[in-house]
Amino acid sequence: MIVAKNISKNFETRKALDNLNFCLNKGDIVSLLGPNGAGKTTLLRILTGYLSPSSGSVEIYGHNPQQERVAVLSKIGYVPENAPLYPEMSVYDFLAFAGRLRHLKGQDLQKSLQETIINLQLQNVLTQRIETLSKGFKHRVAIAAALLHRPKILILDEPTEGLDPNQKFEMHKFIRQYGQQSIIIISTHILEEVEAISNRVLLLHKGKLIRDTSPQELKLSGNDFDIASAFRAMTGEDNVE
Amino acid sequence: MLNDSYTILKKEFGSYFRTPTAYIIIGVYLVISMFSTFYSAYFFMNNNSGLGSFFSYQPEILVILIPALTMKLWADERRSGTLEFILTQPISYNAIILGKFGAAVLFGILLLALTGPFVIYVSFLTELDWQNIVSGYLATILTIMVLTSIGCLISSFNSNAVLAYLFSVFVGWLLISLNYDFMLAPLFPLSENVTYLLSQSLNFYANYLDMTQGEPGLDNLTYFLSLTILILWINRVTIEYKKQ
Repeated sequence: MIVAKNISKNFETRKALDNLNFCLNKGDIVSLLGPNGAGKTTLLRILTGYLSPSSGSVEIYGHNPQQERVAVLSKIGYVPENAPLYPEMSVYDFLAFAGRLRHLKGQDLQKSLQETIINLQLQNVLTQRIETLSKGFKHRVAIAAALLHRPKILILDEPTEGLDPNQKFEMHKFIRQYGQQSIIIISTHILEEVEAISNRVLLLHKGKLIRDTSPQELKLSGNDFDIASAFRAMTGEDNVE
Repeated sequence: MLNDSYTILKKEFGSYFRTPTAYIIIGVYLVISMFSTFYSAYFFMNNNSGLGSFFSYQPEILVILIPALTMKLWADERRSGTLEFILTQPISYNAIILGKFGAAVLFGILLLALTGPFVIYVSFLTELDWQNIVSGYLATILTIMVLTSIGCLISSFNSNAVLAYLFSVFVGWLLISLNYDFMLAPLFPLSENVTYLLSQSLNFYANYLDMTQGEPGLDNLTYFLSLTILILWINRVTIEYKKQ
């Protein structure tokens, strides 16, 4: 369970997040929507404890990400924007390294590696150096690393960027399956996939949470009864304060 | 925490050998060390029972080489975006900092270990003063620790590894060459003794020479270790501050 209370974040004079409140539960697959600069990545970084809020608080299964960083991060699998990886490592070495960072050892590590490699279909690239992989495979490796310890919360920043349609389809299928047992938060610009994978939408604009709703209800807010028109109506230039 | 540090250490130490960097550094170190020992110091003309001519040049050589080991440790993480990956793992910042620091120190110790055959060779030529030699190696390891902590700290400031290298060489050079007399004299104008004692205890070379001449003391160990710990602590603060 994630509880965010009155979160604000300032970068010098700029207000990146402004008094956000929400609560997420198991089974929520949340699309975090908003135009560029709305504060999506900042929010994800606060949830993972990478950034601290200027005011307000976050609780993740009863733990504060700033004060109990390690306890919180052991429940989270996080793939940052552009899925950063170590290019000089082989896929297997990287995954084993990521597993050890999540305190997996011996048989547990081997079992987790095997399952994740099969689930993400990485068998054929295990010995390849990461720098030689396509963008789609790099994303899959990053997601595999985030899943090794079976996190209760999966946070993905732009997970399907650069994937081909088949890879996107597989990724959507995987997210829907994994989301049944956990909380998934996806930051995305791709409006079509909001309806395809999520059951909840948090819409950010200029650092404010302007809508917390379901994709179906969001569609009804637009002139054309689709998410794109709703998004434009709520975040377009007419709404600029 | 030690297990986590070991995981980081293993990854960083292994990464030295995934590129030619490690082999180049080893080659350059051995060539420069042997050249400075046998040629510049007129090795065969001096009494070298304590390998004085070998140890006397080590700080200058390591000032140039250690930054090559540390320059990428944080700068590359920042440049490639993996800083966010590593700092969002369920391990403490101290474990990450110690792991990276440990990898570079271990490589430095490997460099020293490779001079073993040279010591064996010299032992056939002359009677060696083993106490001096052990003390000299300890002083060199402590020097590696101080220079590594400086390199790690400077690497954490920015994303440009070349800048990190150059700046680390500069700061390392300042540390080993700076004489504190001129700074301390105005503070204690009436007591030359106080000035001298303080200056000697802060002076890198004075502490290093004490040890390589076979007179290691607790004050020397305290100097090197406290300097290392202080710089690593600043490194931790920098990492926390810069990610905001």
